[in-house]
Amino acid sequence: MLRPPRILLPLAIAAASVITATLAAPPATSSVVGDARRVLLTPASFTDAAAMMQRTAVVASLLFVWMIAAVALTLISGREIRYSSIEVRTSPLHCLALGLVAVTSFVLTAIVFSWLTSVIGIPLLVALAVFAMLTKIYGTIAVFHAVGTIVAGLRTREQLAQRRWLRGDLAMVIIGLLILGAIRLVPVIGPIVWGLASIFGVGTALATKFGRREPWFLAWRPSEV
Amino acid sequence: MNDSCRRAIEDPEANAAHLQQCAPCRALFEELNTPISDARVQVRELPLAPWEGATYRSWPLVIAGAAAMLIAALALCAAVGLSPLRAISMGIGSTAIARSSLLTAADAVRNASMIWQIAFGALFLLVNTALVFLLRRAPRGIDA
Repeated sequence: MLRPPRILLPLAIAAASVITATLAAPPATSSVVGDARRVLLTPASFTDAAAMMQRTAVVASLLFVWMIAAVALTLISGREIRYSSIEVRTSPLHCLALGLVAVTSFVLTAIVFSWLTSVIGIPLLVALAVFAMLTKIYGTIAVFHAVGTIVAGLRTREQLAQRRWLRGDLAMVIIGLLILGAIRLVPVIGPIVWGLASIFGVGTALATKFGRREPWFLAWRPSEV
Repeated sequence: MNDSCRRAIEDPEANAAHLQQCAPCRALFEELNTPISDARVQVRELPLAPWEGATYRSWPLVIAGAAAMLIAALALCAAVGLSPLRAISMGIGSTAIARSSLLTAADAVRNASMIWQIAFGALFLLVNTALVFLLRRAPRGIDA
């Protein structure tokens, strides 16, 4: 099998990290310290407070939509979600690296597609956007399952026999969503943690091929006569 | 002597369960003074598999969680005078910022000098090559 040069992977991950950080970073202002203090501590004015509360209301409403999506997807394909969750818990660094590189690849590919003529470029851009959204949604729900399992997962058979409600894929997804959702509501830290969860999610979704655990590429082997 | 007895005599360890059940075979082994080892797996001693109890659907937890989240969202929306649907559309609408950033980046790359365009092309190839190599690794998960 063709092996990549050893330097290629760290370089690509470093480049991906820089691009992802640049995209995720808040817009720079003249007084960064002042802004940070305003966001982390109490809002300076009534307008700031209202804006912060409105943001919280929007996030809380979106979390409810996430809950509906998570329950629906877990009911439809619980086994796939579980396989992806196992992967993110056993190979977190691989999932993080794959997620960073994949997000960067999505962005760079979208820029390339936007160069093409509209007849070819727009359908390709739409397909890429749909794929990226599905990957993010599926992967983030797998991360909910992983977080739920880490925090409240079953360890022994006695726990399995004793617990009435707090067991099963659905419960783990709900617990993970409630924990990450609560963190999401925290200013500054919340969006960073949520963004990290999304990157892990994209990584695990792609690493397990959406929980199907099939190879993405066919391996070529010469026929043996 | 039937087929299962013959198999037990040929491979006593693999057919320990038969030796426990069949009195003539057990008598034969006792006569030969050969201990019968019970190789049956004790399920309770094995670690809990990820799929055990996984299909259970905990509806009370789902209903309680969804209700708590809905109440929190409705209360916050009411406090700021925003309808929940409007709040959701505002949240989803924030992707417009990403779209405009992407278009700006595409314009910037298009108008950049030849060196920057070559650098962009090299980065594009590097990142996608790394993606392909990372995707080639088989998932560990269950076998880990």
